[in-house]
Amino acid sequence: MNNKMDSKMEEKILEIINTVLDNRTKEKLTALSSEMHLRNDIGFDSLDLAELTVRIEAEYDIDIFEDGIVNTVSEIFQKLNGK
Amino acid sequence: MDFFFKDIEHGEPIKWDFLINDINNSLTYNRYCKSGNYYHVLKHIITSLIIGEEIILLDSDFTDSELVNLTGYSEYEEFTQIIDKGSFPLVCDKVELIDKLRNTCNEWKVTLFTSGTTGIPKKVTHNFKSITRFVKISERNKNSIWGFAYNPTHMAGIQVFFQGLLNGNPIVRLFGLTPKEIHREIKENGITHISATPTFYKLLLPCEETFQSITRITSGGEKFNEKTIVQLKGIFPNAKITNVYASTEAGTLFASDNDIFSIKPEYEHLIRIANDELLIHKSLMGSSDMNIEEWYNTGDLIETITEKPLKFRFISRKSDMINVGGYKVNPLEVEETILTLQGIKNVRVYSKSNSVLGNIICCEVVCDNKQISESSIRTFLQSKIQEFKIPRIIRFVEELSTTRTGKIKRN
Repeated sequence: MNNKMDSKMEEKILEIINTVLDNRTKEKLTALSSEMHLRNDIGFDSLDLAELTVRIEAEYDIDIFEDGIVNTVSEIFQKLNGK
Repeated sequence: MDFFFKDIEHGEPIKWDFLINDINNSLTYNRYCKSGNYYHVLKHIITSLIIGEEIILLDSDFTDSELVNLTGYSEYEEFTQIIDKGSFPLVCDKVELIDKLRNTCNEWKVTLFTSGTTGIPKKVTHNFKSITRFVKISERNKNSIWGFAYNPTHMAGIQVFFQGLLNGNPIVRLFGLTPKEIHREIKENGITHISATPTFYKLLLPCEETFQSITRITSGGEKFNEKTIVQLKGIFPNAKITNVYASTEAGTLFASDNDIFSIKPEYEHLIRIANDELLIHKSLMGSSDMNIEEWYNTGDLIETITEKPLKFRFISRKSDMINVGGYKVNPLEVEETILTLQGIKNVRVYSKSNSVLGNIICCEVVCDNKQISESSIRTFLQSKIQEFKIPRIIRFVEELSTTRTGKIKRN
């Protein structure tokens, strides 16, 4: 995987996360970091996580929560990169 | 460790003495209870039990229009009444308090609301006997410490509350906390029992820690998959895992160690099966606005495994109700609300299966107003219905998709 693709994917995931935050009138993020915890740091609840998985699946055709719960931003990238 | 209730939002655990003083010093009572503060709700319930008055539990996130629909009011100040202190002697300690509560009078009742099948949530009322039918009071339960993982204004929350309260057990709030906080609360307080929806447990996973103190895990409200059960056995190595079948109308009815439920002999004559649907005799039900005939159709479809003794497994719901992480959403209610927004011509609310919540609410809308956007619909709905009922995915379409018979598709 090259860095270019990485940053494109990162941009898209940030956009999706911000859509979910915005939908709940929560404050948007300016940047993503890989160690961010989806619930503890970003403040997602189960409704937000459910929406996140649908939006990511619509974009990448991968259900990131299929084999259990994903906790951090880096775990999303791992799932999407098929690791 | 002996306290009444702990909620990390309020810091230190609330001791029994504090609760008793608080109740003894209460001069007024209002039968409507709506508060986001768990301690206030629980104290309100206990006060109602002591004075033998009805309590009407309202979700703290009900919007004003939902409240008017449900109760006819959105403000409840005028229902405040003075407590006649002469008739209710002060309670002196925990033992006396619990003894009093166990002997609650027949006039006491609790009213709560459940998502109705016709578009409007319906009102269900229980008395002390029906709500505590499955509370087990025993020496063995004396040392339990409960993790509270439900909303206190919902049926399941009230039942867990009574199980803990009537045994004098400490109760620790877990609902609405982050996984990290939940892990810490279990460890710090030595929680032994948790009752929650499968979604609650799923959100604790994956987890590298193990929690030795937990001896019992109960789950209900939606289907638990095998994989989650295996994972839970890993993090709660000493826990027995139980499934329960419960509804707001009837409370807890059956429990099982796996997905096969059996009926206790004393209830066998109160359960019937017709066209694969589970029917419950009206004597097991709380009272409600509906006219219940002799038998109540639960809308739950089951597969009979053996007839004598009766053993069965739940297959699905007969109705259109959508189960979102244990919360039942009536798509008709959501559709009716969306249609009140000007410019919306038609709408279809449907569910999409989801790995986090079981199901997620989606909708398609047809509108003739270019100004309407996904976010304007959401903002509108936020003032009308509870958050879990709001569609998370909204699509704009030219016309709604229908089934071959012309009915609106639900999934």
